[in-house]
Amino acid sequence: MPPRPPPAGPSTSTGFVTDVSRLLGAFRWAFMPLGLLALVAVGVHAAADTLDDRLVAVVDRVDAAFDGLVGRYDVTAPMVEWVSLELRTRIARILALTWELAADLVLALPALGYREATAAAVKPAESWRAALEGQEAKPSWRALWQRCLRQPTPMRWLRPLATAAVVVAGACTVAKLMQGTVYLSWRELMGDQVADWGARGLAVGALVGVLATLGWRAVLRNLQHADAACAQERGRRAFTRGLLGCAVVVPLALAAVLDATPLVSFLR
Amino acid sequence: MFPSRARGLLDFCMAVLCVWTAYHHTPAGALVRKASAWAFSSKSTARPLLAYYDGMTGTSLAAPMLAPEVSLVRPLTDAESLAWGTHLALKGLDARAREPFAALAQELGIPMDRLLDPVEGPVAARRLHAALEADFPREEARLTALFVGRIPARYAQERVVAEGGAPTLESLNRQLPPGFETASVGAAQALALSTAFGLAWPVSESARVTSPFGERHHPVLGMRRMHTGVDLSVPTGTAVSAVAEGVVRRASEDAVNGRVLVLDHGRGVTTAYCHNSELLVRVGERVERGQLIARSGNTGRSTGPHLHYQLELASRPMDPLKFRASVRAVSGDSSR
Repeated sequence: MPPRPPPAGPSTSTGFVTDVSRLLGAFRWAFMPLGLLALVAVGVHAAADTLDDRLVAVVDRVDAAFDGLVGRYDVTAPMVEWVSLELRTRIARILALTWELAADLVLALPALGYREATAAAVKPAESWRAALEGQEAKPSWRALWQRCLRQPTPMRWLRPLATAAVVVAGACTVAKLMQGTVYLSWRELMGDQVADWGARGLAVGALVGVLATLGWRAVLRNLQHADAACAQERGRRAFTRGLLGCAVVVPLALAAVLDATPLVSFLR
Repeated sequence: MFPSRARGLLDFCMAVLCVWTAYHHTPAGALVRKASAWAFSSKSTARPLLAYYDGMTGTSLAAPMLAPEVSLVRPLTDAESLAWGTHLALKGLDARAREPFAALAQELGIPMDRLLDPVEGPVAARRLHAALEADFPREEARLTALFVGRIPARYAQERVVAEGGAPTLESLNRQLPPGFETASVGAAQALALSTAFGLAWPVSESARVTSPFGERHHPVLGMRRMHTGVDLSVPTGTAVSAVAEGVVRRASEDAVNGRVLVLDHGRGVTTAYCHNSELLVRVGERVERGQLIARSGNTGRSTGPHLHYQLELASRPMDPLKFRASVRAVSGDSSR
């Protein structure tokens, strides 16, 4: 009895996907840090976009106090006219932009330091290379969690939590953009019903996919970064390390959770 | 720590999706777009950086929206105000951004030229609004439908409802993918203009305008300065009322404006009331149209009792008289 030939179809397609995956996998060092950076930047903007009107109110109050102060003296009274309503609005938007870019520096920039351990690096036979090159293995979730509990610092707790908040907001924005683009471009081709369900499905897929592939990595990378920064300091200095950055990102994280995370809307 | 598996394709797709979103939807992405346009000596398609927050800051206001070319002969109804705002904002759009208008106008048998005509344009715009009223009962959603198209507007409206928010123009625009920015700015301008047309007057209609909007010889400083509002001659203690519902954004006192109130009416419209003798509302308080908010006076840099009334659209001072049906006689004495 002659041997049966192996089924060609499915294995070829699986092989193709695997090959493409493997090929793209070779460039993970480039696209993963960029993807993490972009995801955090999108989330930070979604949060900052909800704060700009509150900033206008703050600038108004500060300007009113300033006008009241300089208006007391004849010499300084003309300074009252320095800041018009148009300029006040512009100042508030500039503050929002500055705040957003500062938060990008604090939360998104560490993503560029994201590296993945290669298979060779974990092989015992290759361990000499890491030792010689002075490479330290990145700590695991468990080790990081234990250090957060035993040596808690604002940076170790707040940075990863803030990253988690903006990452979810970012994933929602990506999903929203996906849904809108797919619906509006597919509608004429496939009809309203199909385009609607297709867009919803892809939006949920994008939301879950982004969180599953990039979201947790962004949080872990920030946790690693915060842990490494705090580990360099001792005692009180470790506690105060990165406080300014925390002050920048915590309000944005709150805004992200409260106003920029419409998770349920994709299921309605 | 992160073993590489055969998930390269999925990771790549998700990373590209995030980079695409950041590129189109964040100021940081706009900076990258501007930098690459500069590096390759090409034209950047990115919006001004500050427009990523409210959609309008940093974008130029189209010249036709500064004022209607034709004087208003009678007060406008709400529907007419909306039509006038739509007509003026439409005139400021380029040909490509007018496409949704053109499509709807063609359906209704209205020539595009008629929509742009200074006299017939508002009437034609009102017909467009009437055609959309059943599908989009709210003004803001209807304007979105006119400026970006019915399908994108309906989609945005459904998304806003799914998010559980109010369908304001800003929330509707947030739901739209890249490519609708210019049209969204047009809709915002139309809404601001139509709101301005519907404003009441802060004091009696018979109050004389003693100093109009525009360049003038400043009575105290003795130099040519821009007068960013109109001065209304009223005796001290005259009741000043809110020209529309809104929120008190500022209630303060200084040496120049005296006791000043600034009301934010939303939709990109703000009004200011200066030189009052008494302020009757506080910052953050919500006021209704016609509500007593202050008593006029002669405080700050002022040479006599009057009310300085200022109207700002998208944070830019506009002549409030251009949005009024009956323009009062302007006194030769502009010394207030």
